[in-house]
Amino acid sequence: MTFSARELSTRTRLGLLTLAPILLVLLLVIFFPPDGLDRSQSAQFIGRFHLLAIHFPIVFILLVPILEIVGRSRRFPDLRPVIEFVMGLATVSASFAAILGWCLARSGGYSGALVSQHMWGGICVAATTWLAWVLRLADTEKRKRVYGIALAMMVSLVSFTGYRGGQLSQGEDHLTEYMPGPLRAVLGISNAVKPAAKTSTGANQATFYSTYIQPIFTAHCVGCHGPNKQKAKLRLDSYEELMRGASCGHVIRPGNPQGSELFERVTLPADNDDFMPADKKRPLSSSEVKLVELWISAGASGTMPANGIKNLPRPDTAVAEVSFHEIDSAAVAKERTALAGAVSQLQQRFPGILDYESRSSADLVVDASLWGAKFGDNELSEFAPVRERIVAADLTNTTITDRSASSIAAMKHLRKLSLMNDGVTDTTVQALRSLSELESLNLFHTAVSAAGLQAISGLPRLQRIYVHQTKISPDASIPVLLKDKISF
Amino acid sequence: MTDSRRYPVLPNQPDAESEPHAGEPAREMHPEEIFARLQAQTRRHFLRGLSAGVGSMFLGVLVSQDTGSVKAAERNVDGSPRLDFTRDPSRPLAPLPPEFPARAKRIIYLHMAGAPSQLELFDYKPDLNKLNGQDCPASFLEGKRFAFITGVPKLLGAQYPFHQSGDSGQWLSDRLPNLEKHVDDLCIIRSMRTDQFNHAPAQLLVQTGNARLGYASLGSWVIYGLGTENQNLPGFIVLVSGGKQPDGGKQLWGSGFLPSVYQGVQCRSQGEPVLYLENPAGVSRALRRSELDTIDQINQQSHAEFGNPETITRIAQYEMAFRMQMEASDVFDIQKEPASTLAAYGCKPGQESFANNCLVARRLAERGVRIIQLYHWGWDSHGSSAKEALNVGFIDRCRETDQPVGALLSDLKQRGMLEDTLVVWGGEFGRTSMQENRGGAVNPYVGRDHNPNAFTIWMAGGGIKRGTSYGETDAMGYEVVKDPVEIRDLHATMLYVLGFNHHKLNYSFQGLDQKLTSVKPARVVAEVLA
Repeated sequence: MTFSARELSTRTRLGLLTLAPILLVLLLVIFFPPDGLDRSQSAQFIGRFHLLAIHFPIVFILLVPILEIVGRSRRFPDLRPVIEFVMGLATVSASFAAILGWCLARSGGYSGALVSQHMWGGICVAATTWLAWVLRLADTEKRKRVYGIALAMMVSLVSFTGYRGGQLSQGEDHLTEYMPGPLRAVLGISNAVKPAAKTSTGANQATFYSTYIQPIFTAHCVGCHGPNKQKAKLRLDSYEELMRGASCGHVIRPGNPQGSELFERVTLPADNDDFMPADKKRPLSSSEVKLVELWISAGASGTMPANGIKNLPRPDTAVAEVSFHEIDSAAVAKERTALAGAVSQLQQRFPGILDYESRSSADLVVDASLWGAKFGDNELSEFAPVRERIVAADLTNTTITDRSASSIAAMKHLRKLSLMNDGVTDTTVQALRSLSELESLNLFHTAVSAAGLQAISGLPRLQRIYVHQTKISPDASIPVLLKDKISF
Repeated sequence: MTDSRRYPVLPNQPDAESEPHAGEPAREMHPEEIFARLQAQTRRHFLRGLSAGVGSMFLGVLVSQDTGSVKAAERNVDGSPRLDFTRDPSRPLAPLPPEFPARAKRIIYLHMAGAPSQLELFDYKPDLNKLNGQDCPASFLEGKRFAFITGVPKLLGAQYPFHQSGDSGQWLSDRLPNLEKHVDDLCIIRSMRTDQFNHAPAQLLVQTGNARLGYASLGSWVIYGLGTENQNLPGFIVLVSGGKQPDGGKQLWGSGFLPSVYQGVQCRSQGEPVLYLENPAGVSRALRRSELDTIDQINQQSHAEFGNPETITRIAQYEMAFRMQMEASDVFDIQKEPASTLAAYGCKPGQESFANNCLVARRLAERGVRIIQLYHWGWDSHGSSAKEALNVGFIDRCRETDQPVGALLSDLKQRGMLEDTLVVWGGEFGRTSMQENRGGAVNPYVGRDHNPNAFTIWMAGGGIKRGTSYGETDAMGYEVVKDPVEIRDLHATMLYVLGFNHHKLNYSFQGLDQKLTSVKPARVVAEVLA
């Protein structure tokens, strides 16, 4: 086929016109590379559209081989002329998306290996697509073969770049994170967490930095200032990187916490734009801030031993503030799934006896005290399917006897047990010696004697035993270990 | 007219035969009828329905996923998911697990209406004793309002000797010898504060978290959040020692804006626990049953017509009252207790007394009642009359309450119930360090005026640190100087012990997520937790 001069020049012009944005983005990334600095918000605003726009070239590019294959069939010959148009769209949209991507990376403070791989991948995609399009327009045999190779490259490049992009936005293990175990085994993907960046401080020696300071950064900062993202070119995944500082200079001034950019940022009011961690991520606790302050004051050494500073702040759990954690309802539901069927069956059959200990756990509590004589050994044995999740059992006023001893002993995680007013004897108490988590045992008004207590005297968590109205009197020979724990 | 509520109406129905005739009651459709209708449906009907169906499915997904997996209405203002307290309307008091593992599952609240003097019982101030009888410093009076004090009153030292007691060495006066035996189980908070200096609003503040009428009481919040174990008894029972009702009135155990089923039920400790609990002469239990069945039917019809869930709640309440006839007469009958127990509490069966109520409280606690409130009265020791005087009536109040409270704590301890019962003792405010001079004249008896700036309460049992004191007042016992605890802090702490974040136990009313702790920031007093 031959083209008229006019036609040819139109195509050439179009080709050159579409090459221009590709070259533009190339120049941009060479002369204004993403350097991890935050820049203008308007550029960020435009840049965020990268995530939206990127889907157009992906679809167009993947559509090309589909159209090529399907177009060969006699049923869809009409598809063949469309391909060039689609490839044109793919080229233009890929370059456009690449420019948006540069906007985002340049202004949003991105840098690091992932970003550059994604960036160069994107530019190659645009270039390859353009090349393939040009080749498609030509029709010599040789060029067609090259076209096939370009097409294959285009598809693999788009997959690679897309995967890197996914890692940037969704996290590095976004594809494998929830991969089922068997599939994971087949693909040979390990569960192991990547080894943390190497620390300078020799292998085994516990320094103050590695013991107290690095864990704080790892928990709060490394997501944005780590090996994969280096906002402001700052990395906080090792001592060396920390001391190298950010694009604006050193963030730690040894001996001077107030003059240290890092310390200033974490102690600003939480609504300040410069406050870190940014974007409403969980701030450092007061004791963590204190640790950082003490460490900087003491010279911000990477080699100071872990016990180098005295009078450390107590960890926040010991501070007299109650903190409420959000219930992770998905996790609770997941934990409950295994037992949910058995639990709801038992709830139907024995109304009011079995329930979850709280909305935040899958542990169960049993309270049969209101059932009285209607609840006995047979009824208790029906709770066998859930017994390992029972943490408290109130069997007060029931007709439980020693026949239930093994059922109760099988509630391995029982913390609290009441056998008040029940027909149990020392046999049951002796069976309880395997309940290593038992904290409270109520034997009020039972036939238990001091001999029975011997077996449970070694229970490590046992705190309280109630023996009023039993054969155990204050002057009986009580095992020494239980002396302070018995209520007569 | 066809009744379109029972089955779907398909468009362009060609087969008029299959439609019920006007006026006929709607009936279930025979499978063949359904089949005939389906056959009559054309492709156009199907496609038309399909597009609307798919569209609405999409919209439905869009709406439900608007804010993640939880709808906007199911979130608190701060974006955290709202706890779901909805229940089957026929079982409004059904138990629900707490938000977090609870440290206590029930509360016994001993409210000493009238406000007992902390300076005669718990708050030992030797310096005040030294200044007894001197003029009150002007700094105590500037900018302060009192109920009765005018001019310059005299400072008043403690009327009873104090001593340290128990292994914990906490200071107590000699007025509470039985409580003293349990001093190592008590957590005494000496730094309570309120902003109300009159009884009714102060009591409302203590019991509902708000000094004005119309708010839900502590007990209502608790059974709204947790329900109650025993469906044959109310989950929230109030007992008054007889004589005077508390000044705050029945609003102290009202449900406010919460559904009325969560209000406290005041029972009597003399005669029938609930009026007309027994069937009148000539009415048998079977007759009562058939009467109730008829009422239920009418209520069911009313519910079918208007769909108001409160109707179902009403039916449930009638049913509970019927079951209560059996259980309540039994639980309130303290004669069933051995004589030794009656003696330990100092009970005289048949009387209205705080002692009887304490024993009933234990029996209710054993039967799974979630919150039991006992009101005693007569602690308002102004010194204006013998009854209300620190040197006369106050002695009687201590005697009336000390023995039964001690016996109650012993009983709960022996039964292992103190570890999951939160016992709270307290008034609505404190009393001044000055002797009251009503109208500028010296009162006939020794007494103190109201002091909202400092008072003492104690807690014991589930989740509470044993044998400890918290907070301090100044040398005169007049104002809190260390670790103040506001009423809302106390509430937040109590709810925490029951397994709740006080922010999450909420109810939307008048555009606000209402909470027991109201809108000012409240703090769980972690220092008093075990």
